[in-house]
Amino acid sequence: MSDAAADFWDAIRAGDMDGAMELVSDDATIDLLPANVNGGKEEARGFFAATVTAFPDLLLTIKNHFIGTDGTAVTEMKMEGTQAADYLGVVNQEKHIDLDQVWMLGMSDGRITSIRGFWDQNILYRRLAVKRLDAVSIV
Amino acid sequence: MTATATKADPVATVEAFFEAYRRHDTLSMVDLCTDNADFSYVPFEIWTKQRVIRGDGKVATLGRPMWEGLINSFPDLSNEVHSITASEDGKVAAVVSIGGCQEKAWGPIAPKGMKYWEPHAFVFDVNDGGKIESLTAYWDSASIYRQLGHMEVD
Repeated sequence: MSDAAADFWDAIRAGDMDGAMELVSDDATIDLLPANVNGGKEEARGFFAATVTAFPDLLLTIKNHFIGTDGTAVTEMKMEGTQAADYLGVVNQEKHIDLDQVWMLGMSDGRITSIRGFWDQNILYRRLAVKRLDAVSIV
Repeated sequence: MTATATKADPVATVEAFFEAYRRHDTLSMVDLCTDNADFSYVPFEIWTKQRVIRGDGKVATLGRPMWEGLINSFPDLSNEVHSITASEDGKVAAVVSIGGCQEKAWGPIAPKGMKYWEPHAFVFDVNDGGKIESLTAYWDSASIYRQLGHMEVD
């Protein structure tokens, strides 16, 4: 079975947004509840572009990766980086983050058809020195 | 003629795990795991003055007390399994919504009679005998805190 998901994460790690998005089908869906991102390929590109822009030293360490018999690729990873731009409404304070995540990418015919990500936004906010959930942009 | 061992269905194990959780039968949840099964609740992170306490340990000694504590604070705690995907070697991922109405304090959150219902992602390793060797869970605490009326980033 081809592993478009592994290729996708390699491209994101390299900051190759075009290469990553070439692996995503035009009618793919993205659902990232913690970031309140929901939509299609355009929203996916927007989220990942914002991430690599906000964390230019982005480091993604894969801890576990497998493909289910239904074609879903499951990837547990640690995301690390130093904030260099506003991110998801949080003002840049040049804080370092380490954030454990799990991603589930649906695959069909060698292309990614769906992207779901799970992490704790509270931990992300804590790392970025946010004090209150109802005032994320205030520091 | 040689006997062929029947490999247990890892999806059935995970389904039984969440069915037991719905019944608040934490003993059965533990029984579905190996004696030394690893446990990791990734979002669980308590910052004290001198150290950070994380939700990493063993199912029997950390997982069960955490499940019991959650059930104690949310007596109507339930779950709904949305999807399960499994590899041929016993790795399983499940998306499950969990929630209930808060009646007692839960960590730093005082009870206000509010409810939460939140998707979680679980990753399991299930052995050939159908026992869970490890489980790791991810969820968004910020969303749960908002639903329970707790706005501080603790």
